[in-house]
Amino acid sequence: MSARGRAIAAVALRRFLRAAWQARFGLRRGHARRRVFARHLRLACEELGPTFIKLGQLASVRPDVFSPETVFELERLQDRVPEVPGAEIEAILAAELGAAPEKIFSAFELRPTATASIAQVHQATLAQDYRPVSGAVLPRGSRLAVKIIRPGIETFIAQDLALARRWAGRLARLPGMARLRPGSLLEEFRDTLASELDLRNEGRVADRFARDFADDPLVVVPRVIWRHTTRRVLTTEFVEGWRLNELGEAERSGIDARRLAAHGAEVFMRQVLVHGRYHADLHPANLFVTPDSRICYLDFGIVGRTTPAERIAIAQVLAATVYGDAERALRYSRELGLEVPEDKAPAVQARVADLMKAHLAGREQADVRGFALGFLSMLADFRIPIPEGYGLLVKALITVEGVARAIYPDIDIIQSARPFATRLIAAQLSRPERLHERAPAALKAALRELLA
Amino acid sequence: MQDLVRMLAAWAFVHESADEGWKASVARGRKLEPGELEEGPDAFVDGLAALVAEEKERLKQEIVNAGVNAGAEHEQGVTRPAELGRKLDAVAFELAELRGRLESLQASVDAIAARGED
Repeated sequence: MSARGRAIAAVALRRFLRAAWQARFGLRRGHARRRVFARHLRLACEELGPTFIKLGQLASVRPDVFSPETVFELERLQDRVPEVPGAEIEAILAAELGAAPEKIFSAFELRPTATASIAQVHQATLAQDYRPVSGAVLPRGSRLAVKIIRPGIETFIAQDLALARRWAGRLARLPGMARLRPGSLLEEFRDTLASELDLRNEGRVADRFARDFADDPLVVVPRVIWRHTTRRVLTTEFVEGWRLNELGEAERSGIDARRLAAHGAEVFMRQVLVHGRYHADLHPANLFVTPDSRICYLDFGIVGRTTPAERIAIAQVLAATVYGDAERALRYSRELGLEVPEDKAPAVQARVADLMKAHLAGREQADVRGFALGFLSMLADFRIPIPEGYGLLVKALITVEGVARAIYPDIDIIQSARPFATRLIAAQLSRPERLHERAPAALKAALRELLA
Repeated sequence: MQDLVRMLAAWAFVHESADEGWKASVARGRKLEPGELEEGPDAFVDGLAALVAEEKERLKQEIVNAGVNAGAEHEQGVTRPAELGRKLDAVAFELAELRGRLESLQASVDAIAARGED
């Protein structure tokens, strides 16, 4: 076994033994036991470095595979990586863009503004006017954010993934682990990581998002400077603002926080239900609030997609959830691939109705996170598999609530979603072809009412 | 007046029902001769019912035609100005995207050329 293999095994074993001890070797049951193991899994990922931090982050958006406790614990993974020295950054820029930073930009900060496991970000100044894919021309002198892939990270990740693949093969043979399909899951993660390591993909998604929200004055997506963008370097305009976790009372007092929080939730729904692609990796570091009360979206590494048919079903599930209709929510969830066996349907519906009552209706402030956690746990209790897209969406919805509350703590996301859900359903129903299709049924229903 | 009739027609269309009183009123209204509408409240209501019923049929036809025409135009490849604008916008965006890709490739080519010169 290689030195790295031994190091991984040592961390995994140490964390497993600690978790087993804290879980009283299985005497602690259910939720408490799963929380202990999830916490040590997160700590193990942080100890093992970039590949595992990234794998953990990818796992944190997959409630279809991992328990809710694991998903929400991995969400807290933090990148604590040292910054890459300035000389190495200069060398990468020269190799990627063909010249020293001072020749490409009119100014370049060698000290990074942000560092993460895969890349770090530097500030620079645009040397010549630039016409982006959409939006106005960026004038010379504009401030830029230059994201640079850490040197050697691709090789490091490839080596770690090769080791992880061997471990996944062994894990798959253990009873209870085959269900998680560690091998194929690792392959999926490898593909996502490969896509994230090519920053041009992120630039393309950013351009598409900018186009989707070109008519929304409250949304900012930094424009990409393709002239200074390659596989390992992504240059965008720099947007001034506060990260959500930096947003204190002083900052909130200067912006229309309530409006912005409600708008943030609506923007997410538009992504899912109108445009069919959504930011599936929302967290406080990927969102900015600008001093002129706008929301800025960053880092489009993980993107979810919805088909037109899915959008109609999601809108119905959303509206049913907003209006507390468990039967309707489950009926349309089936169209999204959630298979509830007939014999379990009444019990599942009753549990969903209870969850809606407990977390959404009859409360001063709805608790989407509590509802979704309860919903996912309930599906696990009934051994109902969660379709991948469905899980991603539930997770994203919880995150949207968290994000909206980070902007305005008293927001009720369900109340905010109500007008949008109503408008959307009305728009779907009032399409001529839909009206025409529904008119006979509506007439029959009206006749039945009259003759009853 | 036309807007009011159209609004009532839309209401009647959405709430279409087999109300015998309404049907009788429409039938009486259809038989009214010019000028008889002003003969009293009952005649006015009958006349209005007939107008609304007529407008409702027109509205129903418009909705059906909109669906049929949209389908036929789609099949025949006929494009309306608004749709043309949307298509143009989409093509312009794709072109701009392509320009972006070319610029990025150019940067990579420049970098390789610069390495060759060293």
